[in-house]
Amino acid sequence: MSRPGFVLEVDDRTPPLIVHEGEGFRLEKFPTGTRVVYSPESLPGLRDVDGAIRQALDNPENSEPLRALLRPGMKLTIAFDDVSLPLPPMRRPDIRQRIIEQVLTMAAEAGVDDVQIIAALALHRRMMPSELQHALGERVYRSFAPDGLLYNHDAEDPDNLAFIGTTDQGEEVEINKRAAESDLLVYVNINIVPMDGGHKSVPIGLASYRSLRHHHNSHTMVHSRSFMDHTKSAMHHSAWRMGRLLKDHVKIFTVETTLNNNVFPAPYEFLNKREWEWSVRDQASMLAARRGLAIAPSKLKRRIFQNVQAPYGITGVHAGETEAVHEKTLANVFRQQAVEVQGQSDVLIMGVPYLGPYNVNAVMNPILATCMGLGYFFNSYRGQPLVRKGGAVILYHPVPYEFSQLHHPSYVDFFEEVLAESTDPATIEERFEKQYATDPWYIHLYRTSYAYHGVHPFYMWYWAAHAMDHVGDVVWVGADRRAVQRMGFRAASTLADALEMVSGTVGRSPSITYTHNPPHLVADVR
Amino acid sequence: MLLTGVTGFVGEALLHRILGDLPNTHVVALVRRKGSLTGRARMEQLLNKSIFEQAREEYAGDTAALLDARITVLEGDLSEITELPAGLDIVIHCAGDVSFDPPIHQAFETNVRGTERLLKQILASSPLAHYVHVSTAYTAGRRRGAIPEGPVEHEVDWRTEARWGLAMRDRIEETSRSPGVLSRLRKEAEREHRRAGPITSAQDAERRRREWVDKKLVQAGGERARSLGWTDVYTFTKAMGERVVEEIGAPLPVTIVRPSIIESALESPHPGWIEGFKMAEPLILAYGRGELPEFPASPDGVVDIVPVDHVVGAILAAAAAPPEPGTPSYFHVSSGARNPLTFSRLYELVRAYFDANPFDMSERGAVRLPVWRFPGGEAVDRLLVMSERAHKVADWAVRHAPRGERIRKLARELDQQQRRLDFLRRYLDLYRPYAEAELQFTDDKTMALFRSLDPEDQVAFAFDTSVFDWKHYLVDVHCPSVTASMRQYDVIRRRRGRNAPTVTKDLPEATDVVAAFDMDGTLLSSNVVETYLWLRLPELDRDGKLREVGALLRKVPGLLAAERKDRGGFLRAVYRRYRGADLAELERIVDELLAQHVLERVSASALRRVRAHRAAGHRTVLITGAIRPLTRPLASLFDEIVAADLATDELGRCTGYLSSPPLVGESRAAWLRWYARQHGFDLSRSYAYADSHSDLPMLQVVGRPVAVSPDVHLWREARKGRWPVEEWKSSGAASRLAMPTRELSGERTS
Repeated sequence: MSRPGFVLEVDDRTPPLIVHEGEGFRLEKFPTGTRVVYSPESLPGLRDVDGAIRQALDNPENSEPLRALLRPGMKLTIAFDDVSLPLPPMRRPDIRQRIIEQVLTMAAEAGVDDVQIIAALALHRRMMPSELQHALGERVYRSFAPDGLLYNHDAEDPDNLAFIGTTDQGEEVEINKRAAESDLLVYVNINIVPMDGGHKSVPIGLASYRSLRHHHNSHTMVHSRSFMDHTKSAMHHSAWRMGRLLKDHVKIFTVETTLNNNVFPAPYEFLNKREWEWSVRDQASMLAARRGLAIAPSKLKRRIFQNVQAPYGITGVHAGETEAVHEKTLANVFRQQAVEVQGQSDVLIMGVPYLGPYNVNAVMNPILATCMGLGYFFNSYRGQPLVRKGGAVILYHPVPYEFSQLHHPSYVDFFEEVLAESTDPATIEERFEKQYATDPWYIHLYRTSYAYHGVHPFYMWYWAAHAMDHVGDVVWVGADRRAVQRMGFRAASTLADALEMVSGTVGRSPSITYTHNPPHLVADVR
Repeated sequence: MLLTGVTGFVGEALLHRILGDLPNTHVVALVRRKGSLTGRARMEQLLNKSIFEQAREEYAGDTAALLDARITVLEGDLSEITELPAGLDIVIHCAGDVSFDPPIHQAFETNVRGTERLLKQILASSPLAHYVHVSTAYTAGRRRGAIPEGPVEHEVDWRTEARWGLAMRDRIEETSRSPGVLSRLRKEAEREHRRAGPITSAQDAERRRREWVDKKLVQAGGERARSLGWTDVYTFTKAMGERVVEEIGAPLPVTIVRPSIIESALESPHPGWIEGFKMAEPLILAYGRGELPEFPASPDGVVDIVPVDHVVGAILAAAAAPPEPGTPSYFHVSSGARNPLTFSRLYELVRAYFDANPFDMSERGAVRLPVWRFPGGEAVDRLLVMSERAHKVADWAVRHAPRGERIRKLARELDQQQRRLDFLRRYLDLYRPYAEAELQFTDDKTMALFRSLDPEDQVAFAFDTSVFDWKHYLVDVHCPSVTASMRQYDVIRRRRGRNAPTVTKDLPEATDVVAAFDMDGTLLSSNVVETYLWLRLPELDRDGKLREVGALLRKVPGLLAAERKDRGGFLRAVYRRYRGADLAELERIVDELLAQHVLERVSASALRRVRAHRAAGHRTVLITGAIRPLTRPLASLFDEIVAADLATDELGRCTGYLSSPPLVGESRAAWLRWYARQHGFDLSRSYAYADSHSDLPMLQVVGRPVAVSPDVHLWREARKGRWPVEEWKSSGAASRLAMPTRELSGERTS
């Protein structure tokens, strides 16, 4: 049985602890009294994943079995979570492949021959052929892609979008036409954090920009406390309203899966363990990794990290009606990630790793680093934030002044032009969002190349809106000063300096919490 | 009184004294026309200067009234002197060529023939006038020791010298057009500008020819002077001029005044008054800037400096004492005999001045002043030759190094050094004979003249050079005066330097403006060889890849040479290798594989700029020597794309030829001009962006050229033209060596 998560209080016997910072990590000696939040140990994965999938499809929650929903001559569409999940990518075979293969077998047995598979990427970049192959497997890819039956959703293709209706709050629901007109829509999800899944899958993953702007804006984002708790997130409320409307128009069969915390493969397993429990071998790997990373050129480092594939275990597969499935899914996620923490502290320290949902196979640019730290990690709480209102956040990341021109063309311009004018989410939204969202060049790149939509950097900035609103001070340790300054933050070279810098806000002896993430954790702050 | 050279330094000081202290003298001034300014207008301009304020006040500040009352302007030139008014009492001739190294014909024209014509006119109109000739003490040339106040001893016939000297001009002009010289100059020009095209090279060749003519004329003068025992053509023709005076002016009372080095005023018009830069100023300023590491003089050598007001005083005193006709008087106005200033003393004083009042080099603090050890002319020359050689090597290296910000910074430093070296070479060559001269000008006659004056006039027209203190003169009067303008200029330059030329942030909206962009090197970090490999390698298997890369590597030296010589030839050589490729297949490869590769390498700043131009309503044009399929990923950003088209056979396979010549160098400029004419665009308000020297003609045809990450050649041109220079970096995330891999294709976009 794996041990639950816990909060360590640093004393003089505590060894230096791992802190992730981009393509590398450091060992940091925290001040005595610092609370360190560890996630529960990795849960054991299901032994028979295929069996669990079959079981879920045959005995779904609050729905007829999948077999019963399939009939000859019907239109079947399978949508799946895109390359932003899971992080890091899963070692083959990907769980999406396993599920979709079974769904396709059942469909074939039932005589369904109109099947299309769509990557539900909303405004994310299109998945490359190699990525589709990785997620769905060689067989599915070869049988569908050449005939154009496996493709990426396009939120800017007016011919392939269907307007469904308006919610009671006036939110327009517009999704992929093929999905909307199908007799059955099967959605295959990977629920890596509590934010994912539920009605966030179809109404967001297959939506158009027109529909997305109702929940992806600075107002809802500030009022999502937090994204990891859908009952308290304005964004999720909106998605739920849309999902309930959609349910009346399209028959949706949701398959949700949850993963354990087995994030780092050999030889990096030591990163999954608690530092004082490292074996001699772990210590040796750690030393080797540290020395190696210290001398490796940045391009090699990037290649090493981008090639990491996690040996995840699957902790649950649930299928059926969306809300019923999601409830089970969330229970599984929290079983793996929830840690109880008593009260807030003055300072929250987080190490931002090399990978976020939006920089698979690319560099984590300053905006994405901010989104990862202040958006995702900061929001990993239920109840109240880990840091008190007006407290300080200290982040570790090199924040390189670097952008992938292929994946993030609008990010560069956002950084150079928009952030140079203002860093306030509401101001930015009002003055610049429309221009970027409708820019023909960005749309062209989103539709034909591998670029995130022009409006995407705005969403990233809004992700951080709640944190920026909540805390008084943000300091980055080891970051590029120029890049950090542009975003309105400050850079320090060491933790000691960072604490010195925030002492104006939180005093000389603040209470400190460090969230030891990854592996993922969600803090239940009492 | 007739006054020539009134717009010059001494002439102006003379006029000031005359207007101020000799109220009964009416001046006839011989003033040359200059451009659209008439002689009278120039005179008015002169009288408007602040030193004439007192004189103007007598006429209630009315310059025209002062001019009408005291001066008659005679518009003319020494080369075509108009008839002089009759009844002149005194003629002071202080016009002349003051530079030390004018072309030989010019020196003879002004200093010899001009004097001759003037004297003839005087003889014709006022045969009784006292002719005062302002010469120079250095007419003594390279003689040594005490120089008496008398005619210079030599046997040279001025008529013969003048004739041959003047003939040199045609001779050299003729030689410059001979095939030998022309072909050498053309080759030099082509070596530098071939990449930009034949017309650019030709223009440069003609510029070089003109420079060559000037240089040869200067050389001819210098050589002739030295071969006869003078330091340079200036002193040589001045000496010839004295002979003219002695010979043609024999029927007149004639005085020859020979000042040594004239510098700023001691007292009048005001202490430190100086116009323009004379002999010592460039050196003083260069020393103050730390740019004069040594000087080829002996420390005990004497610098013979006289303040301009002493010269003026002596001229006027001499003018008042006409000698008998046929026995010219000679007066030296010099300080060396009775108040000698040695080089080491001069150095100490100038150094003391700059120690106390250093030039402010802004962020770098005060300048480090060089310490002179006076190692002698030979050693200084050796040092300079060595520096010049080192500079040449470094310059070659910089021109051939791969481009980059660091190289451009190096080039900037080298250019600065080049200017310093040129300066040193010029001045050290010019001044070396003077610095090494061991002349002592006796001034007994001048002193006798001084003593003959009334005590009152002795004060008013002081020219006893033994009375003043060099420390006071140099440290308190001269140096502050000559550095003042430089300090002002420094302030202006610093202010200007802070805002280097840039493209305005908000581009002006217009529909008749073109923005032309080069592709390789400007928009993306790539070159045709690289893109060739991207295109061809995906088609080949592993062995084929190795073979292709190997074949290309073998050709690299040849290709590099071709690139330096002729961009068009280079492109053809690379494109020859496309032979046999299927054009449709190439386009497919671009769309499926290369598009992301190209987009990854595009500079974000470049795209922003292209889009900004579009937003402003400008016509965006992509002009590239790359083949057309490669422009596909960027096609939607441009209204017009000019690229190389691969010719194909009936099966759609590339023949390895192009269907028309590649658009490079001058043909880009020609195309732009044609395009603008065709569509009514205004090129003077249009933009062009390019990175290499071969794009120079294209940049030159538009009014707003921008050099983007330029090579050293283009960067130098951009600096000359004060064009904006921008650095468009492509994302650091893109690896230069990564090759597009052939991924499974067939995915349809929905």
